[in-house]
Amino acid sequence: MIRVINALLAIVGGVGGALLLFWILNKLAEMLPQRGEERVKPWVFIAPAAAAIGLFLIYPAVRTIVLSFANSTSTAWVGLENYTDLLTSRDFQITLGNTLLWIAVVPAVTVVLGLAVATLADRLGSQGEKWTKSIIFLPLAISGVGAATIWRFIYEARPAGEPQIGLLNAVWTALGFDPVAWLTVSTLRFNSFLLMVVVIWGQVGFSMVLLSAAVKAVPVDTLEAARIDGANERQIFFKVTVPQIWGTVITVFITVLITVLKAFDIVFVMTNGNFNTDIIAVRFFNELFRNGDNGRAAAIVVMLMIAVVPVVAYQVRHFRAEEAAR
Amino acid sequence: MRWRRLLQGIVVAAVAMLFASACLSESGGGGGGDTGGQTGSGDKSIEIMYGFGGDQSKGFVDAMKQFETQSGIKIKYTDASQSFDTLIRPRVQGNNPPDIALFPQPGLMLDFAKQGKLQDLGSMLDIQALKDALVPGVLDVATQDGKTYGFPVNFNVKSLVWYPKKAFEAKGYKVPTTIAELEALTNQIKADGTAPWCVGIESAGATGWVATDWIEDFVLRYGGTAKYDQWVKHEIPFNDPVVKQAAGEFEKLALADGNVFGGRKSVVSTNFGVAMNPEFQDPPKCFLHRQGNFITQKGFITEKVRQNLDEEVGVFQLPGNDASSKPLLVGGDMAAAFSNDADTKAALEYMSSPKFKFANIATATWLSAVKSFDLSNYPNETTKTVAKLAYASTESRFDGSDSMPGAVGAGSFWKDMTAWISGQKSLDEALKDIDDSWPS
Repeated sequence: MIRVINALLAIVGGVGGALLLFWILNKLAEMLPQRGEERVKPWVFIAPAAAAIGLFLIYPAVRTIVLSFANSTSTAWVGLENYTDLLTSRDFQITLGNTLLWIAVVPAVTVVLGLAVATLADRLGSQGEKWTKSIIFLPLAISGVGAATIWRFIYEARPAGEPQIGLLNAVWTALGFDPVAWLTVSTLRFNSFLLMVVVIWGQVGFSMVLLSAAVKAVPVDTLEAARIDGANERQIFFKVTVPQIWGTVITVFITVLITVLKAFDIVFVMTNGNFNTDIIAVRFFNELFRNGDNGRAAAIVVMLMIAVVPVVAYQVRHFRAEEAAR
Repeated sequence: MRWRRLLQGIVVAAVAMLFASACLSESGGGGGGDTGGQTGSGDKSIEIMYGFGGDQSKGFVDAMKQFETQSGIKIKYTDASQSFDTLIRPRVQGNNPPDIALFPQPGLMLDFAKQGKLQDLGSMLDIQALKDALVPGVLDVATQDGKTYGFPVNFNVKSLVWYPKKAFEAKGYKVPTTIAELEALTNQIKADGTAPWCVGIESAGATGWVATDWIEDFVLRYGGTAKYDQWVKHEIPFNDPVVKQAAGEFEKLALADGNVFGGRKSVVSTNFGVAMNPEFQDPPKCFLHRQGNFITQKGFITEKVRQNLDEEVGVFQLPGNDASSKPLLVGGDMAAAFSNDADTKAALEYMSSPKFKFANIATATWLSAVKSFDLSNYPNETTKTVAKLAYASTESRFDGSDSMPGAVGAGSFWKDMTAWISGQKSLDEALKDIDDSWPS
């Protein structure tokens, strides 16, 4: 009971505190002479947000970079040892390889599937479109841990002769094969692909919604003009529709790419990185919370940060270009 | 103007609530710290923090009730079962530790001992008397530089092999007394057309720990207690030949083709809690399963078997090199003290005495580590048998992976054993990688 009251008080107090802060700052600004007030006021309202970002984002980032050159308890400098240790360890090379594989596969497949669904659903009747899109959109509402639990059941394997409760093995054994422990099959990274399926399943809905809106926004007269000029449907799709929605495609691609770089829950719940399925975020978690190694964990995050920076930079530039073209 | 007044009202209310919530979240009691070996007088209240939940937590509270009424000391129970180690670390770092903590893993306890946060129990208890009263060897793991920091308040035996009693006897199988006889029995069952062993090491984020228990058991047998201790403390390399021999024996017995139900591939995907259940199908799918005595608790074995435990389930100690050698791998929660006063002392004394009946709850499968504990307190014959094995044991050792640093004992040892069994790594690679992961 006290916990509930505390939680409520914290929410009310937090919101109230923020209100109070802005109110006081505003009052102070109003005390200034007219010209000073006008100049100071925007800062008054943006400064708390900027300070919060600085405190909770920039400061920790700098601190993480610093700690990545220190030992496991952050008590002595070790130079580049964390980086060299990680990059020469076979386990971490596999982890990096898997992460690259995820980057190469998941965003592209998500965009292609989302676009396919958006285009095809566009040609269904309005009822059909509504239903198919709703169903494909549903998994987006499921949390990562929930999705992972569902798919663990789908991939579940029991020894031969036992009733198979996993969907995939139930079908597989009904076809006359021996049950397979799918998530342990690391040949050609098969199990990593099985994990990617879960993320794609969850993200296609997002990709579909944005791309569908873009497809519908393509002016009909451009399509008609192409038809009159004798273009077939394929040419119309690739040469008329796709160029006009390219901006949205890039946005979806980059958003999913960032989701993939941060992906953690699916792998953590389904395999915890065992059977050569480890990815960078899971490895980071295990180094920090299981092994208690601050230095290595920081080094992993710094590498992740370096990998994300160009993507974010590209996205910002792309966004600016779009805005400018408008 | 009206808006401004409303705003002022909200602000005043918010400030008042902030103060109020600050008052509510202030915790009462607790505290302590190093008192320089002097036992203080105490304020008739202590806090105990532990890492088990549900029925076991209730059982613990029940078991302490008698102490509370007799001594007049009030106990605050802190159930940290979601994640004991990540919950106690900030309490200790923030200088607000409980008075007593029951550590599921001695490794973490010794970390705190090294940082000087724990009390040397020698200032409160008679260590020699405690040593004599407890199952031999269980205090060694809690001792550092001659000082003892903890003792087990409950305890489970891990070197056990479970079999389906009726089917086992009907087939005329005999309980083995040496490793060689165990191998012979394995081959005999295999020749009769059944997979001898059931093995499952899947345990979500902790997948692999069952395999580490197997390895530890055989290191204890082939290397003896001396070498086992060196191995746990990393005084010999992790991939010492004796470890390879131990893993080889595990592989030969329970991983070889036809020796394990479902084949080696299914070992890593079978959950440890239900791995034994195929033994009790008709006909049994396997006859042997090595696991600690907690496997008989509710939720693991099927209810039908659990209700008739003594008739359905047989158990023997994993044999040693010869019939007279009976090394025992054990585990349990270690009580350690952060404060040193009369109240803490009284609670520790009570928990280390045979009067403390933590084990006497029907839903639990824990044993008391006190040898003179009254056996009639145990709920069934099976538990009594296991307890007798434990009290008769002359060489027992705590679960090695629990005493190793977390990066190994709860990290690479689990993961690399899993990788070895599922075929991603060779045994040599796996053992080498574990050795490399040992924090310097």
